[in-house]
Amino acid sequence: MDLSWLDAAIFAPLVGAVAVAIVPSRNLSTLRLVALASTIMTFLLSLGILVDFEAGTPGFQLTTSLSWIPEWGVGYKTGIDGVSLWMVLLTTFLMPLAVLASWSITRRAKAYFIFLLALQTGMTGVFSSLDMFLFYLFWEATLIPMYFLIGMWGYDRRIYAAMKFFLFTLVGSLLMLAGILFLYFAAGDNPTFEYQALLGTPLALDAQRLLFLAFFASFAVKVPLVPLHTWLPDAHTEAPTAGSVMLAAVLLKMGAYGLIRFAIPFFPDAARELVPLVMTLAIIGILYGALVALVQKDLKRLIAYSSVAHLGFIVLGMFVGTLQGMSGGILQMVNHGLSTGALFMLVGALYDRRHTRLIADYGGLARSVPIMAGVFLFVALSSLGLPALNGFVGEFLVLVGTFFGYRWWVIPAAFGIVLAAIYLLWAYQRVFHGEPATEANRAMADLNVRELVMLAPIVALIIFIGVYPKPFLDRIEPSAERLVQQLKQSSVVPGGGVAEGP
Amino acid sequence: MEMDIPRIELAGIAPEIALTVAALVILVVHAVLGNRFSTWYLPYLATLGLVVAGALAVIVWDVNDLQLSGMIALDNFATFVKVSLAVFGLLTVWLGRDYLTRDRLEESEFYALVLFAVAGMMLMAAAADLIVMFLALETFSIALYVLVAFKRRSTEAQESAMKYFLLGAFSSAFFLFGIALAYGAVGTTNLYSTGPEADSLFRFASAGPSTDLDLLVLAMGLIIVGLGFKIAAVPFHAWTPDAYQGAPSPVTGFMAAGSKIAGFAALIRVLDAILFPLRWDWRPLVIGIAVLTMIVGSVLAVVQEDVKRMLAYSSIAHAGFVLVGVVAANDRGVSGSLFYLATYGLTVVGSFAVVSILAGPGEHRTRLTDYRGAFYQRPLLAGALTLFLLALAGVPVTSGFVAKLVVFGAAIESGYWWLVVIGVLASAIAAFFYLRVLVVMYMQEPIEGVEPAPSGGWLANGVVAITAATTIVFGLAWGPLIDAAEHARFFVAGG
Amino acid sequence: MPKGYFGQYVTIGIFGLVGLALVVVTLQLARLVRPNVPSPEKYTTYESGIDPIGQGWVHTNVRYYIYALLFVIFDVEAIFLFPWAIVFERLGTQAFIEMIIFIGILALALLYAIRKKVLEWL
Repeated sequence: MDLSWLDAAIFAPLVGAVAVAIVPSRNLSTLRLVALASTIMTFLLSLGILVDFEAGTPGFQLTTSLSWIPEWGVGYKTGIDGVSLWMVLLTTFLMPLAVLASWSITRRAKAYFIFLLALQTGMTGVFSSLDMFLFYLFWEATLIPMYFLIGMWGYDRRIYAAMKFFLFTLVGSLLMLAGILFLYFAAGDNPTFEYQALLGTPLALDAQRLLFLAFFASFAVKVPLVPLHTWLPDAHTEAPTAGSVMLAAVLLKMGAYGLIRFAIPFFPDAARELVPLVMTLAIIGILYGALVALVQKDLKRLIAYSSVAHLGFIVLGMFVGTLQGMSGGILQMVNHGLSTGALFMLVGALYDRRHTRLIADYGGLARSVPIMAGVFLFVALSSLGLPALNGFVGEFLVLVGTFFGYRWWVIPAAFGIVLAAIYLLWAYQRVFHGEPATEANRAMADLNVRELVMLAPIVALIIFIGVYPKPFLDRIEPSAERLVQQLKQSSVVPGGGVAEGP
Repeated sequence: MEMDIPRIELAGIAPEIALTVAALVILVVHAVLGNRFSTWYLPYLATLGLVVAGALAVIVWDVNDLQLSGMIALDNFATFVKVSLAVFGLLTVWLGRDYLTRDRLEESEFYALVLFAVAGMMLMAAAADLIVMFLALETFSIALYVLVAFKRRSTEAQESAMKYFLLGAFSSAFFLFGIALAYGAVGTTNLYSTGPEADSLFRFASAGPSTDLDLLVLAMGLIIVGLGFKIAAVPFHAWTPDAYQGAPSPVTGFMAAGSKIAGFAALIRVLDAILFPLRWDWRPLVIGIAVLTMIVGSVLAVVQEDVKRMLAYSSIAHAGFVLVGVVAANDRGVSGSLFYLATYGLTVVGSFAVVSILAGPGEHRTRLTDYRGAFYQRPLLAGALTLFLLALAGVPVTSGFVAKLVVFGAAIESGYWWLVVIGVLASAIAAFFYLRVLVVMYMQEPIEGVEPAPSGGWLANGVVAITAATTIVFGLAWGPLIDAAEHARFFVAGG
Repeated sequence: MPKGYFGQYVTIGIFGLVGLALVVVTLQLARLVRPNVPSPEKYTTYESGIDPIGQGWVHTNVRYYIYALLFVIFDVEAIFLFPWAIVFERLGTQAFIEMIIFIGILALALLYAIRKKVLEWL
């Protein structure tokens, strides 16, 4: 058996979950430490991936291929390219911080950490699967822990939010399952679920269209693209802090990742046909998300809607068909994960102190919690794309890429950035400046050591990517180039692919 | 007058004989000894009978033969079903032991009836003649009518047994009428030909366009209706929720697992093997039933407030999913359906084991509200039920997902992708009510002052553990089971 | 005589009609020739010469049911024995063993019934 750092990083959290399960549930601090230790261990393992990863090659690296269910052409196949590399690292990087953000969880902490760690295995697995069966397994496996995290440790409307999250995602992914099965049988006499073998499967154009829509349904719900986004504000708002962080930073990226990894390469002709539709949805998402964020009274909901807008940018970049757009979109996935993750952590910190998420309940906090205010402003600026911070690099690339591809589409997209500046800075102003709404705001405690430790790495990375994005782009670009090429290929065969039937 | 003395070859019905003998021994020994001694030995006898039956079924694996004048098919298809049934029977006996001692019910008759029912179901899977099929159907149905009413003093049990009996008798009449018409059309009720001149349904159906098939098609429709009752397909499902709710939970689990696999075994043999040449005639009917079954089962389950009733509707929906595999009518469809039925059986027996334990003495706690906060009182049982429900919902890592994958895959292979789309949408609806149970168990606190959920004896807990383990194992390492299902081929003349 | 599969049903139909006609015709004939003297006794239900008392819906002891069941079992056994006896010689030991098994199972049923005190009246 030839396993790589990647496989270790996928399954290490499960080992951590078992370790957590062994600790007696009364022992809260031990539970936390075990969870933290296992996530840090996983992060260190994933650094091994970064070391082993060769920049400048477009193909899959660190691949593992094991036979699993040969009867049905199912294998355990993992591997990463420049896109999934950063997604995996983003996951393993944010997870210890998410555990740190979970200190306020005191009720049933054991189950909480087990679900969180199981979620990590699912997310890492999604980004590294090269077998459709395995991919679907991990894809759905992220659903259940997240369902419980929202439903058991969320806020008032948690059950509604958890149900909505689960059902929306499930409908999409079941349609994708039907699509995967269709592709499986279309591939030829020797059906297989292996990703690379399925690439370039000849399909009739109308079959491609239907299949693209089946995959698109699943990924568009996850991204989410307007009008399939309605689960997101509820889930993000009601989830516990770590849940919101992982949801925004990683789970949404699974949708965008799925679009470029599966939906486009499998069905390039249908994808090309539907580019205008997808781009329109993305632009609507950017503007709609920003406008709705503008009028939110709930701080967490505001950030949730800002995610809708940001993901619109990412999808826009991925579908314009230029290298800049694609690389920008991929880099922006990392950037959004960092800045939105940090924003959710900050809102979580605020909630822990005052038990409210309403903007109106705050105000004037800059005097009592200057450090928190500073960090919030910094992260907000990164999120709205201030030059020299990470968000700028990604959004700039997306806009340049869009300009080369579809000149006039840049205008509404750029307008979205302006709106982002308005809603984020306005929210900052209302929360941290002006007169305090209550006495409690004056006496609020500033970020403690744990919270600083949790935010500092993100702040550092935000600056690093903003100033020196080259190491990231070097690894992204070869794969991005290949993805752009895949969008331009064709695999249409007139009348091909469909088996006997009425 | 020279007479053909049938060759006596008992390998085909050896498992059934073993079960019958074991059941008779249980009845007589207990009747003779009475309750003077304890009844500890009864479940051992039942276990022994089932294990022997299972072993006798396994040793004829890869034999391809017709026995007892072409009445019994000895093929891997029958063997696969028989072994599954032996396992379901074992789990039911063990679960029943705990249940019966808890509720102080008669033990010996319960085991004997379960064994008789298993024998009938096994015969159903091996029947190579419509008359034998009918005999088998009645054998296990009558045993089940009694088992449903096993809580004699409970009026709910009586009501549900009455409904089950009346509708069951009704369905038998349809089935019998179908057999009569088939005989009228073909001149025999044999499914397979035994000699070069002998006639059979299969030979008749594949004879070509010159034969007049109208009568056979009519017979086929009636047989589908008759079996549709047994597998609880819509619109023949009306008895299911009542019978499932009123029956003792171990019996309900057994019905859901055993009755379904036996009914489907007969249906699959008749449709996918014998009447395969007529598939363009039966497919529209079966597709209609499948679509109705999936949708009605899933939608009606959503509004149920009783967990047993909800699982009853869920079992209806699952019949619809298996029918998708039957419609496919290809190798993957047959093996996929068998895989589905085997894994579904284990999962559903497990779910009813948990329901049986949590329901407490007299089964008074089966409403959804009784499960409030169950996770905090019985974390392991609730965890197991979660696993079963996720499997029923078809979530990956469980056997239920693989089962859906293989039947849907088979349907797509034969071009019925739109049926699969309906199927996946129905399972999304179905997911809703499984999630409702999870919400109640995990996300709501137990009501203050209400006594906590009861715990089970070691046997019932063991059944839960076994079924939970298989649900996971067949979700990850499903290779061997699907391999066995793919080798579970029908009898082939001269093969 | 009509031919074919469905044709045979026509034969049955004709037979049924003739049978029905026979009943109707004879009853009507009798009506023409008989005297008509109604009295209350003539309108009561015939119950083996005993006066009918009370309602029709009376509880019957459930034991009758089990008696009836046992009767059916041995009735069937007896009926099955006659054809068996005719071919017994030709079939030999095999048939003998089969019948032993058959009667043995019924004997077990009887034993079970005895042990369950079915045959004791009160």
